[in-house]
This record gives sequence, structure tokens and C-alpha cells, in this order.
Amino acid sequence: MATVSLEQVNKVYPNGFHAVHDLSLDIADGEFMVLVGPSGCGKTTALRMVAGLEDISSGTLKIGTRTVNDVTPKDRDIAMVFQNYALYPHMTVAENIGFALKLRKMPKTDIEARVKETAEILGLTEWLNRKPGQLSGGQRQRVAMGRAIVREPSVFLMDEPLSNLDAKLRVQMRAEVSRIQRRINVSTIYVTHDQIEAMTMGDRVAVMRAGLLQQCDNPQVLYDHPDNLFVAAFIGSPAMNLYEASVTEGAAAVRVGSQQIDLPASVTTAHSGLAAFAGKRIVLGLRPEHLPASGDARPGPTLTGDVDLVEALGSELMVHFTIDAKRVQAEGAHDPDAEDVAAAGEGVARVDPRAPVKAGERFTFAIDADGMQFFDPETGLAIW
Amino acid sequence: MAAISTTAERTTAAAPPRGRRDANTKKLARIGWGFSAPALLVIAAVTIFPIVYSVIMSVSNVQLSGNGFALNGITGGNYSVLVHAAVWRYAVIFTIVYTLITVIVELVIGTCIALVLERLTAGRGWLMALLLIPWSMITVINAELYGYIYNGTYGVYQYLTGLVGLGHPVILGTPTGAIAGMMVADIWKTTPFVAIIVLAGLVMLPGDVYEAAEMDGASGWTTFWRITLPLLRPTIALAVMFRVLQAFGLFDLPYVLTGGGPGYSTNSLAILGYFAMFKNLDFGPGAAVATSTAALVLLGCLASLRVFRVQVGKENA
Repeated sequence: MATVSLEQVNKVYPNGFHAVHDLSLDIADGEFMVLVGPSGCGKTTALRMVAGLEDISSGTLKIGTRTVNDVTPKDRDIAMVFQNYALYPHMTVAENIGFALKLRKMPKTDIEARVKETAEILGLTEWLNRKPGQLSGGQRQRVAMGRAIVREPSVFLMDEPLSNLDAKLRVQMRAEVSRIQRRINVSTIYVTHDQIEAMTMGDRVAVMRAGLLQQCDNPQVLYDHPDNLFVAAFIGSPAMNLYEASVTEGAAAVRVGSQQIDLPASVTTAHSGLAAFAGKRIVLGLRPEHLPASGDARPGPTLTGDVDLVEALGSELMVHFTIDAKRVQAEGAHDPDAEDVAAAGEGVARVDPRAPVKAGERFTFAIDADGMQFFDPETGLAIW
Repeated sequence: MAAISTTAERTTAAAPPRGRRDANTKKLARIGWGFSAPALLVIAAVTIFPIVYSVIMSVSNVQLSGNGFALNGITGGNYSVLVHAAVWRYAVIFTIVYTLITVIVELVIGTCIALVLERLTAGRGWLMALLLIPWSMITVINAELYGYIYNGTYGVYQYLTGLVGLGHPVILGTPTGAIAGMMVADIWKTTPFVAIIVLAGLVMLPGDVYEAAEMDGASGWTTFWRITLPLLRPTIALAVMFRVLQAFGLFDLPYVLTGGGPGYSTNSLAILGYFAMFKNLDFGPGAAVATSTAALVLLGCLASLRVFRVQVGKENA
């Protein structure tokens, strides 16, 4: 077991592409760190630099107390799980798992014992004599895990290990990977583009965009206090509703489209930075669960919109609505296919199932004011 | 085309009988056979008939007459002649040994070349084109070329050995020299073919498996023996099959380069069959050589196919 620390690590490819900018991250002993971001954000490159499969252009990479910039992958004492598993197709499951031990010239009986033990942890015992070609996706994934854990490395690296599984299996394996990681308690860096995976698995999550680290914190902090627009838009499903808005003179209210939302004192105190934006444009962020009920049922600020669609989920209603304000996009944070849907003043609210909300009607939502987020439209930074 | 018609018939046989459709399919099949017939007739005339005829000839008493020959009853005599002839036994051993050595050497050199080419980022296309020149050359020309290189009076090889003070050995003058010289000519020509096939196989190998091996701590040498070579096995088996088939039919190279000599030291089975039939007009034994060679090749192919299939099966078993 060991810590991993990246200090001002950069990756510049020979063609000039700057894949990772000044990345600094510290992964504690036994910590599960998730790197998340849209494709091309540099997360896989960062992981491959830790693995030693890519050279580090500048900066320092330490595993434990040792600087390993120029150490070959096999001498870094790390194990990696690849996106496509990268199993040796001509070897059985047992040979796949035991290959690294065999290369270390470990005695045969020891290898067998270790392989057996690993197979038991992963539920692979009955498949040990099969070849990868005869296994299902989930089983191959577990063999890949087994190959990594059998070596008892000081660091685990996982590159989108669940992305080739179907949705149901992915949820199942998510829990299983977390369980195994906790059981063997090895520092882990896990790369994914799926923010739900990041939120559910990571002790801490590092959000990256365009080679830059946006924010690194535990999942709840990322969700409740995103540092900037990108993190706010990227984390959470359904995504945060972000609208162009302006702060009134005196900073006691914000205007969204034709509506004015009065800010309770708790909000203006918590976000004292808003005063500086009096009379200026900002971006207002409201998560769907911060529009929880009918405005008639609760005192305090409200937001009125035209209801387009109501999805009843039993425990709550997903209400899709439109207001006359412009929705803000954080570049790269959304699925490009969904962009045109969200381009207008659309929003989503998670409403109490008893609320009298109907598609095609106007509805006034109560705002959970403490959940309101504010961002500087120029820099994208959160206003506190 | 024949295959297509057969498939169509099988499909209808498996499907539940439905009057109209069945009749339609039968009609289609008839038309199909009609269209295929001319091609099938040509194939029968130029391929099947000669094969069958030479097999019959090999077990017949062939008598030469003024205007041709006549088959005069069945006999095992032709094969008995072969078995008792030292030339035939020599030709069998020579062909097998020649095939083994050239194929192994070509495989080793070809794989090395492929490994180098695979690493190259620039100039791979040019090198491949250059490499293919020997392979694209007609064997007879290749043989003439080496005939010139090995020539006893003005040959390039003679000149070079003279320069370094090794005297003036006449390569094609001794059995060992002739056999080795012929192998070199063959290897020079066919190694590129093996290299290209192996390169195609190499390019298809998954890159992440190599990264996994690197992480697992495999050295370059271990990676080659434990990962590359096992994964290339089907490709190599294919190259070996092609080459064994070709090498067994060895004819044009010795015919032009050595004429089967000195003595009968470079008499391959094909050369022997040709001499027996068309030089000595020993039609019966000649046909027996051809048939027995075909049988040997068939056996060799079946054996290597079996080995190949077992290995493929093992990969998935």
C-alpha cells in the first residue's frame, strides 16, 4: 500500500496537444480516487502516466516516497485493469491471473494457492480452466480484476473497467468493485466518464475538463458546493437547472426571465459574494430537488413555469417545465445528443407526488432557497 | 455455382413443404444447374478427368504403341517399381527435407522481418514494396538469376569468394552445394511472402494485451515467447500450410537451375515424375510418382490441418 502524488504533472504530445495541464493530486493510502470528465478531458492520459504507459512531460509523480517518473511500469508496483480487459486470449483464467506471479518466478504451489484465493474472492473458482473467449463480459471483467489483485500491488489503476458491460451488470459490478477495493484496501485510481459511477464509488472524485482539474473533493461536496459551472452541470442526474439571471440593486433578489426571486437572508449571508454582483448578470443554479413542491404549500421564494411533461416515478414526480429565461450550457458537461432539448428555457423539478401538477398548465414551484447556487458568467466560478 | 444450388436445395428440404414455393425453388435449382453446367463441364474436362486418368494410369499396365499408348489391365507393378527404385526413395526424402529446412528458415527470417517492419513508423510502405520484389519475380527468372550468381566461370559468388581468398568453389557442381544453393534461391524468393503474412497477423494483435503484459512485468523476450508467438500461431500455421504445399510441388527451380543434378541429387518428386513420364516415357511409373506425391501432400495437409485445428480448439476449449 502506498500514497500516490502528482505534482504539477503535464502531458504534451509531440504534435503539440497539451493533454494534461499542471495536474496536482494526492491519493491517500487505501483511498478510492475517481477521475471523471467528458471524453478527451485527459483523465485516461493522467492514469496512463501513473501507470508508466505514457511519459510525463513535466512534473513529478511519486508512489509512496519514491519519485517514479522514469521507473518502468513493472517496477512501479502497480496493477491496471483495462477498458477492454486485455486478457491473454490463449491462456486459461488461472494462467491469466497467475501470469505476473509466474514472471516473478514464484513457486508453482504458491501461485496455485494465490490464484485460488483470488478466484474465491471474485467468484471465479469454477471458471479457472476456461479461456477468456468462453466467458461472459462480467466474468472477463472479474478475471481482469483478479489479474490485478493477485499481485498485491501498492496501487490499482482502473481505466473505465465497466464501460463494456450492459447497464444492469454495470450497476452490479460497481458495487462489487467497491466491495473488493475496500476489502483489499489498496489505493485506487479509477477513470470513468460516468458521473454516477464517480459519485457512487469514489471516496473522492476529481473532475477534469480539457486537461485541467476542475475540482477534487468527496462526492457530496462536489454535489452541494461545485466550484464552477462545469462541475455543477456535470455532476448530478438529472442535471442542475442553470439559467441566465441578474442580481437586483441591493442584491436582495435575482431576476430570472420575467420573474423576480427574493433571496432570504440565509442565502445572502451564505453567498455574501453576491453583493458585488448587484446589478450584474449571474448564472442561477437550481437542482431538481430544490424545486420540491407547490409554491402554494410553502412560504418563501417560488419559480413559475409552463409544465411540459410529468413523469410519475411513484416516490416523486419528474416535472419538465419551461420558463422564459435562457438556459446556460457548460461546454462539454452534457451529452451532445441532448443539447437541443435543453437549449431553450427548459428545466426539471423533482416534486412531491401529491402536488397538483399537470402537463400543459402553469405551475408555481417552491424553491428550497438554501440549495440555490450562483455563478459568475464570465469566469464560471461559484459565488459565495 | 454448384455449391449455391446445393445450399438452395438443402434449405428447401429443411423448410416445411409448401406446394408452390417448393416447385419454384426446384425450378430455380434447375436453372442454377443449367447455368453452372458449362463451367462444371470445363472443370471436369481439364481437372477432374486428368486426375482420375492419371490415378487409373498409375495402376495400369501402360503399353506404348506407334501412335500413343494403351492401358492394358490393372497392375500394382508401377508402385512396386517406385518402392524398389533408389531414385524415388531419394526424391521422397529430398523433397521432405528440402521442404522442412526451407519452410523453417523462411519462417524464422520472415517473422524477424515482420517484427522489424511492425515497429517501423516511417517508410514501412516502401520497405514492404522493396521486400515484395523477390516474391513477385517469376520462379524461372529467379532460377536463371541464381544460375548466373552461381556460375562456375563468371558467377558473382565465384568472384566474391575469390576476393576474400576462399578459392573458386563450383556451387552447382557438388550435390551439397547444389542443394544449399537451391535452398538459398528459394528462401530469398519466398521469405517476403511469409513476412507479409506474419506482419498481417502481428498488426491484428490487440495492443492493450501488450500493455497488460508490460504491467505484469514481462520483458521483451518473455512477451515475444509467451504472448506474441502463441497469439500468432494461427497466422504462422496458415503461412506454413501455404509454403508446405508449394515446396512439395518443387519443380521449376531445380528444372532450370540444376536440371535435377548433379546426378539425381536435386531430383524432387515433381522433377522425377516429369522425367519418368516425358523424358523416359515411363507412363505407368510416372503416373505412380504423381499419384503418390499427391497422396503425400494430402496426408501432410491433413496432418497439419489436424494440428492446426487442435490448437485452435484448445484456444477456446
